[in-house]
Amino acid sequence: MTRQLQIITAGPHASVQDFGRCGFQSLGVPEGGVLDRGAMRLANRLVGNREDAAVIEVCLGGLTIMLTAPARVALTGTKNGVLTIQNDESVNAAQMPMLEVPANRSVTLGAGRIIRLGITADTNTAVIAISGGVVMPMLYGSAATSPTAMIGGMEGRLLRDGDILPLGDNNNGDMELNPELAVDVGDMFSNPEQLRVVMGPQDDRFPEKTLKTFLTSEFKVTLALNRMGMRLDGATLNHLENADILSDGIVTGTVQVPGDGNPIILMADHQTTGGYTKIATVISTDLPALSRLRPGCGVRFNAVTVAEAEALAHASEAAMLALFAKIKPASALMDTGALYQLGDTT
Amino acid sequence: MVVQNIDKKRFLSAGDSGIIVLFDDLSADDAIVAARYLGQIVRQCPDEFIGVRDAIPGLNNLLIQYDPLRVSAAVLQGAVMARLDSITLSGGGNIKHWQLPICYGGEYGLDLDDVAAATKLSSDTVISLHLGNVLTVAIMGFLPGLGYLKGVDERLYLPRKSNPRQHVPALSLGIAMDQSVIYPMPSPGGWNLIGRTPVRLFDPSRDVPVLFSPGDQVSFTAVESAEYLRLDRAAAGGEAIISPMPEMPLKGQKP
Repeated sequence: MTRQLQIITAGPHASVQDFGRCGFQSLGVPEGGVLDRGAMRLANRLVGNREDAAVIEVCLGGLTIMLTAPARVALTGTKNGVLTIQNDESVNAAQMPMLEVPANRSVTLGAGRIIRLGITADTNTAVIAISGGVVMPMLYGSAATSPTAMIGGMEGRLLRDGDILPLGDNNNGDMELNPELAVDVGDMFSNPEQLRVVMGPQDDRFPEKTLKTFLTSEFKVTLALNRMGMRLDGATLNHLENADILSDGIVTGTVQVPGDGNPIILMADHQTTGGYTKIATVISTDLPALSRLRPGCGVRFNAVTVAEAEALAHASEAAMLALFAKIKPASALMDTGALYQLGDTT
Repeated sequence: MVVQNIDKKRFLSAGDSGIIVLFDDLSADDAIVAARYLGQIVRQCPDEFIGVRDAIPGLNNLLIQYDPLRVSAAVLQGAVMARLDSITLSGGGNIKHWQLPICYGGEYGLDLDDVAAATKLSSDTVISLHLGNVLTVAIMGFLPGLGYLKGVDERLYLPRKSNPRQHVPALSLGIAMDQSVIYPMPSPGGWNLIGRTPVRLFDPSRDVPVLFSPGDQVSFTAVESAEYLRLDRAAAGGEAIISPMPEMPLKGQKP
C-alpha cells in the first residue's frame, strides 16, 4: 500500500514546508520555507529523515492526521506540546487516547492511528515530521508551500480537511528494533523576551527620537499574523519625511514601517521586493523565536552590530549541533489506552 | 545602518544575512542596469562569492543574501568591491523580446474608460499609445513572474488606484506611473486594468516556469476577444502561443 497520510482536520494554518526555494527571488519567486528551521531539522532527525525532508508546519495548532502505513512521528518547535494518539476516529477513542506523546521525541505508530495536535499554548508554530517525509512535486528545488504565490505543497495552498499527502520510503529499517529517539531541548523552544536586530537598511529615514522609541518600547503581536508577516501594535514610528523608497529586495525578519507608522515584521513568505522603509532586521538567530510569538505576546527590540549577529549565528549553530549530539534512545511511553482497559476489568 | 570600513555610499546592511549595494550615484535607468548586471555576476560566480544564497535587483540597488555561517558581510563587501569596476552598462546579454497579444478594454480591461477619462484621451488613443512603446522589465517582484515594465508613454502616467481591488483576475494588464504590470496569478492589486493577455507568465509545469527575466523587452499587439479566447484555450492546453524574439534596439533608451 502506498505510504501516505490523510488530513482529518487541517486547523487554521497548516502547510507542507521544507527549507524553501533559494536563488529565484530575482524572478519574483519567494523563498518561503519553514518558519523554524531548527525545529524542522530536529524533527527530521528524531524520525530518521534527512534534515531537509518536507514536514507539516502547524501554526496555531489544531491538526488531526491519520497514517495509512506504519511510520515514526515527532513533534518539535514546542516544549510542552503533546501529540494525542487514538486507535480510530470514534468518540470513544478520543475520550480514551491510547498514548500521549510529548514533544521532542519520536514515536512509532501503526497504520490507521490518529494523531492529534491541540492548541500549542507555548508557541505559534510547531513542526511535525513523519518518517520518509512528505513527498510533494518540487518547484525550484523545494516542496514548500507559499499560499500567496500559490506555489508548492498541496496545490499551492494551506492544508484542508481530507487532503492525502504521499510519504517517502521509511529510512528506519525495522522500526520495531530501532529505538525511538528523544532529546532534552532545554530552552531551545522557550518564548523570547526580546528580538535582536541590526538597524537598517533605512534607519536613516527616521528621526533619532523614533529610533529610540523603537528600541525602548514594548510592542504587541496583533491578530494580523500569517506566514507573510506579523503586524505589531504599539508606539507609532514616525518617519523623517515619508515611507516610500525605491524598491529593494527583502530578507526574512525585516521590520518594515509603512506610512501609518505601525511596524510589520516580514516572515518567510514575504514578497521578494518592497517599496517601504525598513527600520531594522531581526537577526537570523532569532527568526525561530520570532515564529513562536503568538497574538498578544509582547516584543522588544535590542540592537546588535552585523559582526555580533554573525558571531551569534555561529554560536547558535554550534549549540544546535551540540543538542543534536545529545539525541538518545527514548524511554518507553506509558500506554494510557492499556491503563483504561485495565481499569475496565477491575 | 551604513556598513563601516567600506565606501560608505555603497552598502547598507539587511541583518546578518543581507547586504544592499546602492547605485544611487547613477541615473535611474543606469542604476537598474548596473544592479541587474552585478546580480548576474554574483549568481554566476559562486567561487568568487562564497556563501551567497541569492541576489535580487531593486530599482537602484542590489540585495545580496548570504549565509552568515559561510561568509561575513565584510568579506562579501570586499568581493563586491573587487568587481564594481567590471560592471558595464551595456553588459548583461541574453535579452529577449516578448510580444504579447492583449485584448484591451471591456470585461478584460475594466478601467480602460476611467483611464481614458483621467488622461483626457479616447480609449482608442490610450490603446494605441500603450501599443506604441517597447517596455523593459526593470525588476521583478510581488509575485512569481511579475515584471515591472518601464517605458509607458508619459501621456498615460496615472497614480495607482486609491482603492486597490481585492481580486484582480490572472493575466490582467495594468498601468500606473511610467510602468505596466501583468499579474501572473489572481491577486489583490491597485493598478489601472486596461486589458488581459492569454500568455502564461508563470507556469510551474514548464521547464522554465517564469517567462520574463529582468532586462527583457516587452511589446504588445491588440487582439479581439474571439482571438483572445482561442489563444487562451491553446495556452490552457499547455501550448506555447508565443516565442521570444531577438532584442531590438530601443530608440532613446538604454538597453
